[in-house]
Amino acid sequence: MLVKKVRFLGALCCFGIAVLAGQDRSNVIRNPFSAADDIAAGERSFRSQCAACHGFDASGAAGPSLTTGVFRHGNSDEALFAVISKGVPGTPMVGFKLEGREVWQLISFLRSANIAKGASHAPGDPVRGAQVFNDNGCAQCHTAGKPGGFAGPDLTEIGSRRTLAQLENALTDPDAEVDPDYWSLRARTKTGQMISGIRMNEDTDSFQILESSGRLRSVWKVDLASYEIVRTSPMPSFKGKLKASDLEDLVAYLAGLRAQTNHEVQQ
Amino acid sequence: MRRLALAVTFAAIVGRVLPAQVSFERLLRAVNEPQNWLTYNGNLQSTHYSRLSQIKQENVATLNLKWVWQAQSLEKFEATPLVVDGVMYVTEPRNKVVAIDTRTGRPFWIYQYPMPETTYVCCGNVNRGLAILDNTLFVGTLDAHLVAIDAATGRKKWDTQVAEYTQGYAVTVAPLVVKDKVVVGPAGGERGIAGFLAAFDAQTGREVWRFNTTAHPGEAGNETWAGDSWKTGGGSVWVTGSYDADLNLVYWGTGNPGPDWNPAVRQGANLYTDSVVALDADTGKLKWYYQFTPNDEWDFDSVQVPVLADLSWKGKLRKTMLWGNRNGFFYVLDRMSGEFLLGKPFVKQTWSSGIDESGKPIKAPGKSPSVGGTDTYPGVQGGTNWYSPAFSPRTGLYYLTAWEDYHTTYFQWDQNYEPGKPFTGGAARAPFQSLLRDPFIKWGPEWGYGVVRALNTATGEKVWDYKMRDVSDGGILTTASDLLFSGNREGYFFALDAKTGKELWKCYLGSQVAAAPITYTVDGAQYVSIAAGNSLFTFGLGRTGEVHH
Repeated sequence: MLVKKVRFLGALCCFGIAVLAGQDRSNVIRNPFSAADDIAAGERSFRSQCAACHGFDASGAAGPSLTTGVFRHGNSDEALFAVISKGVPGTPMVGFKLEGREVWQLISFLRSANIAKGASHAPGDPVRGAQVFNDNGCAQCHTAGKPGGFAGPDLTEIGSRRTLAQLENALTDPDAEVDPDYWSLRARTKTGQMISGIRMNEDTDSFQILESSGRLRSVWKVDLASYEIVRTSPMPSFKGKLKASDLEDLVAYLAGLRAQTNHEVQQ
Repeated sequence: MRRLALAVTFAAIVGRVLPAQVSFERLLRAVNEPQNWLTYNGNLQSTHYSRLSQIKQENVATLNLKWVWQAQSLEKFEATPLVVDGVMYVTEPRNKVVAIDTRTGRPFWIYQYPMPETTYVCCGNVNRGLAILDNTLFVGTLDAHLVAIDAATGRKKWDTQVAEYTQGYAVTVAPLVVKDKVVVGPAGGERGIAGFLAAFDAQTGREVWRFNTTAHPGEAGNETWAGDSWKTGGGSVWVTGSYDADLNLVYWGTGNPGPDWNPAVRQGANLYTDSVVALDADTGKLKWYYQFTPNDEWDFDSVQVPVLADLSWKGKLRKTMLWGNRNGFFYVLDRMSGEFLLGKPFVKQTWSSGIDESGKPIKAPGKSPSVGGTDTYPGVQGGTNWYSPAFSPRTGLYYLTAWEDYHTTYFQWDQNYEPGKPFTGGAARAPFQSLLRDPFIKWGPEWGYGVVRALNTATGEKVWDYKMRDVSDGGILTTASDLLFSGNREGYFFALDAKTGKELWKCYLGSQVAAAPITYTVDGAQYVSIAAGNSLFTFGLGRTGEVHH
């Protein structure tokens, strides 16, 4: 108990010093509560305090996913401490009045929940997977680091957002879960013109779409005779089309495509 | 099979051969397509003049709100949007880019740049806008990067570091596309940066050339810096320049020398701060320069927009450059040679007793910043500042937003340079000063006042004034129907008769205008857009609102 108190005081002092140090980036504070039992305690706190907005497993709900390893308002422990305790103005994220130790334990849990850590468990060979990606023309529709196509999702940071199982499912059953960002509009106007494109935005009266020509345009619903929102993926399933080992390698390659910012994640 | 065919078709069209939207040829001839607004200042001559005339003196009083875009940010909204074939592209503070349908005001996409936790930017988390070439948008960031974004999807194409942001560098300027290059430079004149202009390959983001605005050792002009003072000498770049295709010259204004108010530690003219530089667009080599305020002591950034106009000058047609400077003087230069043609105060100023025949200002005695403070005109925000001016080829007048009878007490002290931290060597105390205004106007008339001022380009004489109670940071737009649009800190957006300055229409937008208006057409109807407060407002003729039945 005494030990914990000392650690807690130490943590408070560290935070105080960091605040005083202000912009001195050499003065990085370390999370003093990062042991396995701290992570478990952090997970319990997360379930009670955070999961309602950020999802049961921190993968996002009303609030953003916290499993990508990249945090919108700063990646350092110091920044996460500030966000948890003070909130983010202009968003539903309010500041939480927690003990300093509890905040540190939450941060330890969030670090452990980083989905990108899964890449190291991928059984496939990511270098061979990159070759599979190229050989199957994936870059025609997808960007993965270097510029590729824009018809499908940008995969540059997909390894930070999807587990190994999710990546494999997306390849073998692409219709199972299509991000609403990639639902498309197929419509016929009252004058008989056919319209289609990726649905960028939709409200009661209008659609905003990206046509296959690359043109952005609005369509008033009142001008349409009929329309449907297509929720299936234009991507073909690779089930049975790829050797099992190729699929494993491709998943390993995709899992390794991690979020990178200009700003190092401070461990 | 059909699905595969669809996917392949979509990939082939969207992924590989997006139609080139805005070729450089189109940028060169931007005045010929007034339905669009293709560059920060509307055209590469930066006249902020549009050939549109559907909104005119007779109907401007019937302007109505068409739509509003609300930024998801409470930072100051200084951006001028672009409009390309029905799509508006605008930056929101702290480095978001938004594509909006000009017909409906609805968004197509939002690009969010991942910002670091801490920025070191001086003077506000602002961004002034974008450039476009083909189907790529270019935006600078507060952590001093230049980012290329696909105009159809809002996805990043490349990201290049321009400078080290922890040292106080930031890119707030709207980039300028010249041929196949994108030109930007860093802000940070109050952070002891060593400024530069740099051109990047539009396809790859690779730096092609760089011109140092504080001359480095071995470069002409380095002798105008005492010792190593060039290293922290400022020369920031934060307002967009212009381009003359016939001369192949890029013109750009440069910021104050640093530290701002202590010239003793940087004796010499401090080239190329407070200057306009004319650079070869292909190599970045200096063709000529003109320094407005040598060894500046008052923070008179010369970042203003270089307005290019061909004028009859003493009976001879000349390629000129018009420049209302923060130091309170209006200048006409020959833009082929840099020859000084005219320099005349456009507001009350006391720092100079005049300009000699060679174009060099004569400093007035006793006006330097001091330990006890020295009161000088114009004040620290200048006779004008970064607000886009306009030139109408119809009226022949140059229009600018000016602060008249405005002064500041300037203080000076010694200060050591620390990377990324303020480095000003003094301070400025205005009687009442806030760049971001609350809704209440408590400006006292004895502190000066704002005007939209029309100047005769041959003499620099005032032709008319539109006087405001408060000062103003609004940019100016003029049109072929001799209308002038601007806004101010009071929150008004207004239209004047460009020939007389008579007020024809105004609308209270509820918060300050610190941006420039633009105009374009939507399905043949002329619209005008302006940022105010945290929102972007679009006006047109006819009714407000939508009817869907």
